[in-house]
Amino acid sequence: MAFRYLIYLVTIIAMKLENEDALDHLIICDQCRTLHEEIPIEDGTKACCIKCGNVLYRYDSRLTDHGLALSLTALIFFAVANFFPIVQIEMLGNEQFITIPMTFLSLFENGFYFVGLMCAVVLFLFPLTIFALLVLLFLLLKLKKGEELSRSLLIGLSFMKPWSMNDIFLISILVALVKLIGYAQIHMGIAFWALVVFVLLDIYMTKHIHLKDIWMLREQIFMEKE
Amino acid sequence: MIEVDEKDLIRCPVCEAVNIDRGRDNRCRRCGSPIYRYTHFKTEKSWAYLITAIIAYVPANLYPMLVTTQFGKTEESTIVGGIIVMWESGSYPIAAVIFFASILVPIMKFLILVYLLINVKYPMGKDKKINKHKLYYMTEVVGPWSMIDVFVVAILAALIHMHNVEIIAGTAATAFALSVFFTLLAAQAFDESLIKENH
Ligand SMILES: [Zn+2]
Ligand SMILES: [Zn+2]
Repeated sequence: MAFRYLIYLVTIIAMKLENEDALDHLIICDQCRTLHEEIPIEDGTKACCIKCGNVLYRYDSRLTDHGLALSLTALIFFAVANFFPIVQIEMLGNEQFITIPMTFLSLFENGFYFVGLMCAVVLFLFPLTIFALLVLLFLLLKLKKGEELSRSLLIGLSFMKPWSMNDIFLISILVALVKLIGYAQIHMGIAFWALVVFVLLDIYMTKHIHLKDIWMLREQIFMEKE
Repeated sequence: MIEVDEKDLIRCPVCEAVNIDRGRDNRCRRCGSPIYRYTHFKTEKSWAYLITAIIAYVPANLYPMLVTTQFGKTEESTIVGGIIVMWESGSYPIAAVIFFASILVPIMKFLILVYLLINVKYPMGKDKKINKHKLYYMTEVVGPWSMIDVFVVAILAALIHMHNVEIIAGTAATAFALSVFFTLLAAQAFDESLIKENH
C-alpha cells in the first residue's frame, strides 16, 4: 500500500492560526509526540509519522460501510465463540468441555470473585459492548444522525479499548492446552475457531480503523450537514 | 489571528485532537474531556495505584497460583515454581512465555512507571536521549499480556474438575490479578503530557 510522509512542522517555533478550527489540520503522533500538518491523501492510503513511522491517519472513502460490515461480522463470531465449547478433553475416561463464560463462572463458584469479575469484564463484557457500540456508531454515521450520541459513543470506546483482552486469552488457551498434552486427549471446538476469527477481525480493525479516523469522519459528516 | 508556540500544543488523550494549552483548565474542543498538563496535578493518584500494584505483586509470588489434587494428593505451585517445572520437563516455549508474562512484563512496567513518575518531578539532565513517550507507549501495549498466567489458571480450573484429578486457582491468582489491574490504572492515571514538560 502506498503511503506518503507528511510535512514536518517541528522546526516552526511560532505559527499563526486563523482561529481554533485551524488546529484540525494539525496532528500529534501518539507514539513520539512529533507535530505534523495533515494533508489530503489518496483513497485507501495512509499517512505516517516522519520520525517514528507510526500510522497517523488513513483515508478510506467507504469507512462507514467497511466499519459497519466488519463490526457486525465480529459481533456474530463473538456470539458463536461464547455459545459453543472452545475445547473438549478426554482424561481418565472423563469428558469435559469449556465455553468462555464457563471460565469466569467457575472462578466465581470457587470464591475467586475479583479474578472472576476481571475475566468477565475483559473477556466478555467489554468486547461485547465495544462491538455493539461500534455497530451503533457506524449506523449513526451512515444515517448522518446523532451528533451528540456519536460523540459519547466515541468517548466510551476510547476508555474501553485497553480493557479488551481476547487476543491474550487466545494465546492462554494454547498455553493451557500445551500443558495438558500427554495427560489428556484434546479436541478443539467450533468456538475456538470463531474466537480466532474474532481476534483476527479485532486486530485488523485496531490496526486499520483508528478511533481518530472515526472522529475525523464524524466531524466531516456533521459539518457537511450544517 | 492567534499566534501559538509549538510547545503549547497538546493532544487530547481521549480523541487525539490538537488543542492549545491554556494552563490549568484545559477542555478538549472536540470531545470536552479535561486535559491536564501541570506537574502538581495528578501524579499522586498514579503513585498510589502503582504502589498498590507493587505490594500486591509480593503475595502473587509467595502464594500458590495453582492447586492440583491428584488421587487425593495435593500439590501447590507458585508462579516461579510453575516456570521451573515447565522448564525442567522440557516445555521451554511455555516456560519462556510465562516468565515473560508473569515476571518480566510486570517488573519492567513497575520500573518504567517509577522512572517516569520520578522523572516528571525531578528531571535528570542526561536522559534526554531516551524517548519517554515510546517507553510509556510500550508499557501500555505490553502490559495486558501479563494476564496470560491468570487466564491459563482460569481455563485449567474450569476444565479439570474430575473426581480423581482437580485443579483450582490459588490465592496468588487474586493477588496477581489485583497487581495487573492497579498497574493498568496507574498507567492510565499517569498523564503522558507531563513528559513533555522537561524536554
Ligand atoms: Zn511518531
Ligand atoms: Zn478530545
